[in-house]
Amino acid sequence: MRWRKISIVPYGRRRKMKKPKLLWLQAITCNGNVHSFFNHPQFLDLISRYEVVYHPMLESSCKLEDVFARNASCDVLILEGAIAKQEDELVLHYAKGASLIVTAGTCATYGGVFRQKDPRQIGGFLFDNQNITERHEAFCQKTVSIPGCPLHPQWLGFVLESFLLRRPIEKDRFLRPKELFGYTVHEGCVRNEYFEWKIDAKGFGQKEGCLFYEQGCQGPHTRAPCNKILWHEVSSKTRAGTPCLGCTQADFPTGDFFQTPKHMGIPARLPLEVPKRAYLTMTGMAKSFHVERLERKLIDYE
Amino acid sequence: MKKLTLHKLIDKIEGEAHIDFTFQNDRIESVRIAFGGSRGIESILKGKSALDATVITPRVCGICNHAHLIAAVRAIEEGYRRSGVCVELSSKAKRIRDITLGLELVQNHIKWFYLTLLPKLCALVGHNEFIPFAKKAHTMTLSATKAVALFSGQWPHSSYAVVGGVTCDPTQVELLQALFVVDRLICEFEQEIIGIDIDRFLSFDKVADIETVKGDMGLCITLMRRNGLDAIGRSHDRFMVLGGSHLSPLGKSIATVTAGVDTRYVETFEQEGTASIGVAYKGRLYEVGPLARAMVSKNPMIRALHKRYKDAVLCRVYARVQEAALLLVTIKQMLQTLPIDEPSCVLQPNTIVDDFEGEGSVEAARGSLIHRTKVRSGKIVSYEIITPTQWNLSNGLSNESGIAALSMLGLYDTQTATLVFRTFDVCSVCTVK
Repeated sequence: MRWRKISIVPYGRRRKMKKPKLLWLQAITCNGNVHSFFNHPQFLDLISRYEVVYHPMLESSCKLEDVFARNASCDVLILEGAIAKQEDELVLHYAKGASLIVTAGTCATYGGVFRQKDPRQIGGFLFDNQNITERHEAFCQKTVSIPGCPLHPQWLGFVLESFLLRRPIEKDRFLRPKELFGYTVHEGCVRNEYFEWKIDAKGFGQKEGCLFYEQGCQGPHTRAPCNKILWHEVSSKTRAGTPCLGCTQADFPTGDFFQTPKHMGIPARLPLEVPKRAYLTMTGMAKSFHVERLERKLIDYE
Repeated sequence: MKKLTLHKLIDKIEGEAHIDFTFQNDRIESVRIAFGGSRGIESILKGKSALDATVITPRVCGICNHAHLIAAVRAIEEGYRRSGVCVELSSKAKRIRDITLGLELVQNHIKWFYLTLLPKLCALVGHNEFIPFAKKAHTMTLSATKAVALFSGQWPHSSYAVVGGVTCDPTQVELLQALFVVDRLICEFEQEIIGIDIDRFLSFDKVADIETVKGDMGLCITLMRRNGLDAIGRSHDRFMVLGGSHLSPLGKSIATVTAGVDTRYVETFEQEGTASIGVAYKGRLYEVGPLARAMVSKNPMIRALHKRYKDAVLCRVYARVQEAALLLVTIKQMLQTLPIDEPSCVLQPNTIVDDFEGEGSVEAARGSLIHRTKVRSGKIVSYEIITPTQWNLSNGLSNESGIAALSMLGLYDTQTATLVFRTFDVCSVCTVK
């Protein structure tokens, strides 16, 4: 995608120029993306490069009443929360004037948890679950999707930095940055060796074993760099022994979490684009061997 | 004299609230608080698997999601126990849950202090000194949430508490990292917020001791006292704690007289003109939150302040800041003595109960949070969530005003009244779950 021309210049000269205006607008939300983005280590450096027109937590240049009355304007519109069809006029008003729209989180991107209250009336901005909405055509060029429940602060940070530097972002069919969502949650998971050798975790609270076979881990078929760009720079769900819940996916929340749905003993959803025959062959081979090291406790406390 | 009603939109309180202030003779005579439309979490849960509540309910709230997780998992555990399954958590799992929940409270209190309370207080009294509120809030929040993530993987919206314990099995490496981060957080808290040693701060037990508090809390106390804001904001002087923890036992306190409680007597009621329900206990309203916890646990300093101020603004504000300090010291102790070789999760895999009813309560940042689940053939048939803000922010019963509503009556202007409102640490999203 290319940015429409607005008055933005590289860092070196930015003090002399007007800052781009950032508006954080909320629809049906839990506020989770506001709090998650606040965990960005350079949050203040980043946000101070913008004029914050309105933010749900920080001091802003505009009052919320003025935002509601459409007396504000923005270059960057950050949308948080699922959108009800009959209440999208305010969103459309600011979306039209913005140079960049970011759908922050799974609700704004696909509808997420709150879509499930009334899937016919509530959805994401440009996607309703997997399908495109009628707004898609008008806004897909200038929209970047950052799904996640919540989003990872550095994913949103990447988009806002790119905008300041006028660097184009390569997007996939869900308008997600390829640089981020080209990865799966499985990539970088510390339990990968257990996956390779088909050794499942024997319950929760264990350092050992892969969570894909029994505990419902969706990491191998969920796109997000959770195990590449770590959460809080230190961890991720799978590193804390929690199965990936697929919270960046269009169909989140799928339900029946913490168990792996199976067909004839084989996980119903296989790793992304892995053919069933290939999966079965590899599984058969891996299971025919025993790797003693992987069958022992990682650490034996004496 | 003619009545005048002013409408105010209150924002940056985890969403928004609408307040109608009605004035008579220049003073606020009545207050109506309204929150926006319901998001339907309870109905979304219907038909889902019992354990899905531990994934869906944290999404009620971006700032107290962890408390929702713990309440949800406790509700299932209690249901399992009632069905005869032994769910006795290891002390390690209990401790880890207490640590992460405690850290969530700490980050909440810090954000409330620097982003909700202090900027508004300074603006109200015309204190123009430059204070980097957001920077201070950010630095300390980063430490608190990083320490949570070392156990829960991420914050917000972790689902690391599972029936029977926790999913993580930390090594000494994560433990020492967490200890280091919490130590730094304590230093930041001492330097920025209280300006004195944390142990000394926690040893205070006389009203005169507040003179000794320095830092931004010292400034806050000075500004409140100098401008006559310390003794306003009194309400019914009744307090409730329904989720026992290391902070406070279960109980209620009417002024200083404490007694036992039972969640069976918790009643909810519909309210006109707002999507939020109200909550009462045996037909009476109670304040929940840090002040309630301090009163029920007979905290010496809060009792001393209460003797002078009752449930006024200064007491409520001090209780929240003091609770953050208390939590930090307790969390550090828990980290130092965590029995790392105990099991993280005691429940055997594949232990599934198909029919049960359970209730889980927890002390969230803003007070008692209750989850009630009813499960048939493995699916949720009904789910009820009662949040702290519903206790504090109701519009009252026919015979008594709401807790926050009463605290604003008699004041002369809406700015002062909304400051009092903010001392309750209002959470809009929790109200319209």
